[in-house]
Amino acid sequence: MRIILPIKQVPETRKVRMDEKTGTVIREGVESIINPLDLYSIEFALKIKEHIKCEIIGISMGPEKAEVALKEAIAMGIDSARLISDRAFAGSDTWATSYVLYKAIQKIGNVDLVICGERATDGDTGQVGPGIAAFMDIPVVTYVSSLNNICPEYCTIDRTIEHGHETLKTEFPAVLTVVKEIGEPRLPTLKGKIQVKNTVIPHWNLNDLGIEANKVGLKGSPTRVMKIFRPQVTRECKLLYADDEPKMESTVNRLAKSIRDMELF
Amino acid sequence: MINKTNYNPVTSQIADMLAEIVGNKYVIFGDSHELEQYSHDEIPDRNYARMPEVVLRPGTTEEIAQIMTLANRELIPVTPRGAGSGLSGGAVPVHGGIVLLTDRMNSIIEFDKDNMMITVEPGMITNEINEYLEEFGLFFAGYPMSGETCYIGGNVAENAGGGKAVKYGVTGRYILGLEIVTPVGKVIRLGGKLIKDVAGYNLIGLITGSEGTLAVITKITLKLMPLPKHQVDLLCLFNTSQDAIQTVPKIMTECGIIPTAIEFMDRNAVQAACQYLNESIPYHQAGAMLIITVDGSNSQQVETEYELIGKLCEKYGAIEVYVADNPTTSERIWKIRRNIGEAYNIISKRQSNEDIAVPPASIPQMVTILGNLSQKYNVMIPCFGHAGDGNLHARIVSDPQWSDEKWYQILPQLLDELYDETARLGGTISGEHGIGHKRKGSLAKVADSNYLDILRSIKMAFDPNNILNPGKIFDMKQ
Amino acid sequence: MTAVNADIWILAEQSQGIIQRVTFELITRGLKLSAKRNCKLCVMLFGHGISDQDLQDLIDRGANKIVYLEHTDLKDFLIEPFSDAMCGIISQYNPEVILAGATTTGRTLMPYVAIKVNTGLTADCTSLDIEPETGNLIQTRPAIGGNIMASILTPEHRPQMATVRPRSTSSAENNGPRIGEIIKTSPEKLTSSRLTLVKFSPFEDKINISDADIVVTVGRGIKKKENLSIIYDLAETLNAAIGATREVVDRDWLSYSHQVGLSGHTISPKLYIGIGLSGSIQHIAGMQTSEKIIAINNDPDAQIFKLADYGIVGDLFEIVPLLTQKLRDGAKL
Repeated sequence: MRIILPIKQVPETRKVRMDEKTGTVIREGVESIINPLDLYSIEFALKIKEHIKCEIIGISMGPEKAEVALKEAIAMGIDSARLISDRAFAGSDTWATSYVLYKAIQKIGNVDLVICGERATDGDTGQVGPGIAAFMDIPVVTYVSSLNNICPEYCTIDRTIEHGHETLKTEFPAVLTVVKEIGEPRLPTLKGKIQVKNTVIPHWNLNDLGIEANKVGLKGSPTRVMKIFRPQVTRECKLLYADDEPKMESTVNRLAKSIRDMELF
Repeated sequence: MINKTNYNPVTSQIADMLAEIVGNKYVIFGDSHELEQYSHDEIPDRNYARMPEVVLRPGTTEEIAQIMTLANRELIPVTPRGAGSGLSGGAVPVHGGIVLLTDRMNSIIEFDKDNMMITVEPGMITNEINEYLEEFGLFFAGYPMSGETCYIGGNVAENAGGGKAVKYGVTGRYILGLEIVTPVGKVIRLGGKLIKDVAGYNLIGLITGSEGTLAVITKITLKLMPLPKHQVDLLCLFNTSQDAIQTVPKIMTECGIIPTAIEFMDRNAVQAACQYLNESIPYHQAGAMLIITVDGSNSQQVETEYELIGKLCEKYGAIEVYVADNPTTSERIWKIRRNIGEAYNIISKRQSNEDIAVPPASIPQMVTILGNLSQKYNVMIPCFGHAGDGNLHARIVSDPQWSDEKWYQILPQLLDELYDETARLGGTISGEHGIGHKRKGSLAKVADSNYLDILRSIKMAFDPNNILNPGKIFDMKQ
Repeated sequence: MTAVNADIWILAEQSQGIIQRVTFELITRGLKLSAKRNCKLCVMLFGHGISDQDLQDLIDRGANKIVYLEHTDLKDFLIEPFSDAMCGIISQYNPEVILAGATTTGRTLMPYVAIKVNTGLTADCTSLDIEPETGNLIQTRPAIGGNIMASILTPEHRPQMATVRPRSTSSAENNGPRIGEIIKTSPEKLTSSRLTLVKFSPFEDKINISDADIVVTVGRGIKKKENLSIIYDLAETLNAAIGATREVVDRDWLSYSHQVGLSGHTISPKLYIGIGLSGSIQHIAGMQTSEKIIAINNDPDAQIFKLADYGIVGDLFEIVPLLTQKLRDGAKL
């Protein structure tokens, strides 16, 4: 079977800044990493590979340097990768992004499973996985936390929702989006890293995918960022000390009173 | 030789005089709760703690000079203090008196990009110096491991080392100039923006690592290095400690590469930290691990170097080598090393953090010795540290079931034996934490009496009344 | 752009036949928009065996119209029949706006349908407004870990779709009987699902972090799993859910369902109590819209204090049990 992993390169969250005029993320000087949640989808695919014969292909839509993310995924153990890169893609929202990834998956062909991280830590929407499924007209299972069983025709998985775990069975092809409960991602090994050096990653652009320019980028995106602004911080912290005996009693009393006064329990 | 231990107390009259110097706001006096936090550093054992009588937070060199003049006249001991993140009791006011906090003196005085130098006040957080320098592509390379807390003043006073010493050396290598206040209240400038300077004795070298016993440091000029753009960490799993340790010198001799850091973790340390972190790498199979860091300005070169080192580790028995070349994986690898301490804090708070240093090639023997001591005394001794430079942090951890009595009966015997063995290997009892008052009693094991006498004479020359950080490193009279 | 049918619609959410609280919050949101736009607030509901009383309750809370599609295949959320149902409503009623909760259901169904009907979707909005003239929905959401707010429009596509952060507004109240239209239909044919629900195993914890009014969140300062008992005691006393930082979940002291933050869950309780956690950027992103924030930490410089209403500096192992005891004693009074 064939598994596709859409992988996103994101700026490291600790250092992210934003251009307030244009509403875009300033990526200059900020280190890029694999979206942390995509590491779980890589791990999940590699776990599946331990159970069933399969080919795992990573795809990433992004600038040329996103190749680094794909190489890391190969070092972790996936089989090959394609970079989808074109200036025309810049400014794509989740609709346009889902479309481009769908076209790439279509070009690869014979796909049984598409596995995504539940969302990316920069956009934080979680919309691309279901979006790809909609374009492909196949089912999607989100918030997948573990694999129960897999065979060439279907798999059963667990999904974590607000009130519990669902166990679902899905036919292939399908899209899964996974959460952290999948398990800690493996680290890339020296052997993997050396192997990557000899791996060529094909680059696909707009024409390679047969996409019309007006369906991607800002033109192809139904949503528009109108403005961005800093959230108003309205809280002013009252700092109370409870680090010795006498203060402890009075501070905790005061705290207990203010909690009770909220009348929530 | 005078042994001044009969100091005068800080009366409210004296406190008033001190307040006049630094301003009322910056005096902590009479509030034992507030004073308590300045009675200890980060040694977990509170038996090393001593209460100060007054805490002062001066803002200028001039204020410090006035304080020293007054203290010298009134015979009141003064203990300088940075962030209090030390591990030898260096900032603990053994004889009470004044604790001199440098936290308000935390500015950059001058950044000289052309000369690649920066002059700062002692209360600057070292990490913040490097954060400031990042955008200029420079850094202070003597930065130790204690992360986001320590002050540069403390680093200089202790001549702090740390993880990157293999390649970059310790703090002392980067100090070009100092402004100090002597115990009698004189302000002296040493060195300056000079790479070469042989006019007179090397007093910078003397003050650096003097643990705050010779002078209060008020300004520091640091030499900066170009910040490496690329860094890769390798996590190498070995079957045994011996396998891991024996590989260390070969990295340098066979590959011809000086890595930035080589950290060693023995089986105990690895298991405790990995269990605590719920780490999924196959640590159960590993008898020891090495973390090896290489850095540089050229990604190709860094790649070549880590491959050579990785392959060498495999050749000498590494069962797996992981590669971290991005913040996510690097953080994952270093987290193991950083959490050893925390993992053991949970097992027992009764610990002694040792800081022995031996010639790098003797580390395998030291690891064996520690294993034997652990068995003999029935304590846990996870062993980890900067394998590349011979500095091992053996942490002696009590059986949680033991009583305090039993621990304090066993520990001195064990340390006695450990230090004897260290001396036998040509080592010393502290590589980077300092002697302070914690290890004062054991210094004689690795230092002969002539050496200690010279130290005392130097101390006398600076501090005739023995008022600056007394009771540290050595006693004035045997 | 002022089509006759251009109304504000919300997706009512049901689980095991029970209308979920987020539905009432969406009514609050929808009423504000429909009043401003001078149009109707309509509710779509997909399920099986929902009582007339529950449908009327939605009217009483302020909705003008309910369209309830009832089918056994709509009992549990499965993407294909639900997508079919929503697409059907869209083609029949041409909504101007569709709001759904940013719940596991909303965040799965909405992006799927948005592609199917070729429109834009904005995720996890915390504030919504509408331009009365154009009907353009101004969708505001936190971005980049909550450091920035972004206002987003879908100017040329209809319906405008948005998911809304649960608990980011109050529930619409039932203030007595109102009159509204209730359309209850059973679709004859829904796409057969290639996905089947094998079983559902509810969490043992009574309260989960996205629903709870109070969330007691614990960080690495708790030191070990065994120490969590004091947190359980406090949570039980307050009838609170238990949240955790990534550090705590990584160490396997609590399961992922408790994780609050950028790689975990986003919560907005009325009261958040953070214990023994420093407040990393990643954690703050998941809780900063909480109504009231209390933090307990021994480090007065901890980042969490910067956004807390009350900060308690001290040893959590002393403070927490004492607080639990005070709260219990107080409850007796």
